[in-house]
Amino acid sequence: MIIRGNARVPKTFFERLYYAVLPLTATLFLFALLSAISLYPFGSVPPLPAPYIAGAFFASFMRLGVAYGIALIVAIPLVMLSRRGHFAETFFLSFFDVVQSVPVLAFFPLVAGIFLQFGYINTAAIFVLFLAMLWNIVFSLITGLKAIPRDISWAAHVFGVKGFAYAYRVLLPAITPSLITGSLLAWAQGWNIIIVAEVLRVYIPYGTGADDLYGIGSVLVDSITAGETGTFAVAILFLVGAIALINFFVWQRLLKYAEKYRFE
Amino acid sequence: MPKNIVSNNIISFNNVSKTYDDRDVALVGAYCSIPQGAFACIIGPSGGGKSTVLKLIAGITDATSGTLSKPKHIAMVFQDGALMPWLSVLENISFGLHGKGLSMARIRSIAMKYSKMMGLQGLEAKLPRELSGGERGRVGIARALAVNPHVLLLDEPFSALDPKTTDELYKDIIKIWKETGKTIVMVSHSIEEAVALGTMVLVVKERAIKKVFEIDLPYPRHEHILPYMREVRHIKREFFK
Repeated sequence: MIIRGNARVPKTFFERLYYAVLPLTATLFLFALLSAISLYPFGSVPPLPAPYIAGAFFASFMRLGVAYGIALIVAIPLVMLSRRGHFAETFFLSFFDVVQSVPVLAFFPLVAGIFLQFGYINTAAIFVLFLAMLWNIVFSLITGLKAIPRDISWAAHVFGVKGFAYAYRVLLPAITPSLITGSLLAWAQGWNIIIVAEVLRVYIPYGTGADDLYGIGSVLVDSITAGETGTFAVAILFLVGAIALINFFVWQRLLKYAEKYRFE
Repeated sequence: MPKNIVSNNIISFNNVSKTYDDRDVALVGAYCSIPQGAFACIIGPSGGGKSTVLKLIAGITDATSGTLSKPKHIAMVFQDGALMPWLSVLENISFGLHGKGLSMARIRSIAMKYSKMMGLQGLEAKLPRELSGGERGRVGIARALAVNPHVLLLDEPFSALDPKTTDELYKDIIKIWKETGKTIVMVSHSIEEAVALGTMVLVVKERAIKKVFEIDLPYPRHEHILPYMREVRHIKREFFK
């Protein structure tokens, strides 16, 4: 442990584990465990096998990954466009403000209806996840761009770093902390929405559980509605554990890495 | 009154004005000539227009009217360093060298040369946040010198530094100026500093270049030297008039 000013900075792997995620993970895990216990006895249906639940988690993860990738590809040019002059900034920021304030799930019946007509059921879920993730990334990027000190932009100009070189050598590193924070929030939002996004039967006339997408969201909803409490308990424990591990091994490391890119 | 533009002038302001957004007047009808190899110090109260003069020379902003002649290769040392926090000392020094057709080995050797010149040996791999204020200032100067500019602009580079570090950097700047023969234009908030360093002092106030003083004194200049104090008093009288 290093004492820096009044702050105690965790140094070793276990210190960081303890200070960063253990308390939160323990709380969430306890909550999930209590939920599982409260559902005991698990009923007559035995829980689904662990590989099936792990596969469902992986399917949801991949869905979120694709949605995140698309959100990133759309967000960056959208933000760049909003920075092209005073009028563009005023117009786009007002537009973003209005659109992002509409709850994403309000779009879902319409989106699902359109995609389901053409048989693209996976695309319907990914599209809604994309919409949910997009605004976190957009607003984080806008905040990041606005936080770049004027001196930095002037220095780039004076030293002839312009155009693509400016975007690659100054803008991209400068917005890295915001991009990571925005991505973290986007994924958190994605995990929230996935519970609904994979349960497609709601949007299909006379739809059943068979119409749902294979994923951790649908496993949770389907198991609880079918009274398969054992499956529900295992799935929720798996979800909390996996997200905690992702947080520790991916997000915490990325947040630490982003410190290097922060302006003082 | 318009000044004659002399042929060896490297920078010339000829009736230059600058207005932001068609309403905020920052500089009105500026006339001034800075000879090649001069060390020009711009002094003046806050909001008087001195930063505008520097920004116009740097090409950060364009004049609304008038003619401004300046060389193409200009580099600048910023008040707070304006170093890229994610780049090491060596990478910051070589910031302006990329995209100019130089090999990576050449870029590294130039950066090493100026790192050594500014006394930054051993700090090459450090990030700006790991440096002291004086060291950051030196990195800023090394970055500006590395691109081999015709004119070196300094925007209050000593304003946030302690007196000891400031004194060390004064010596560094004078040494670089004498060795390289580059034209230096520095904005300062201190008349004493301007007279201690400059060969000419431009008083910029009320959004105009009010007066230009030629300083012809040997270095080093400090408060124990009578002619230095006389110049300081002389400029102060004009400054507060």
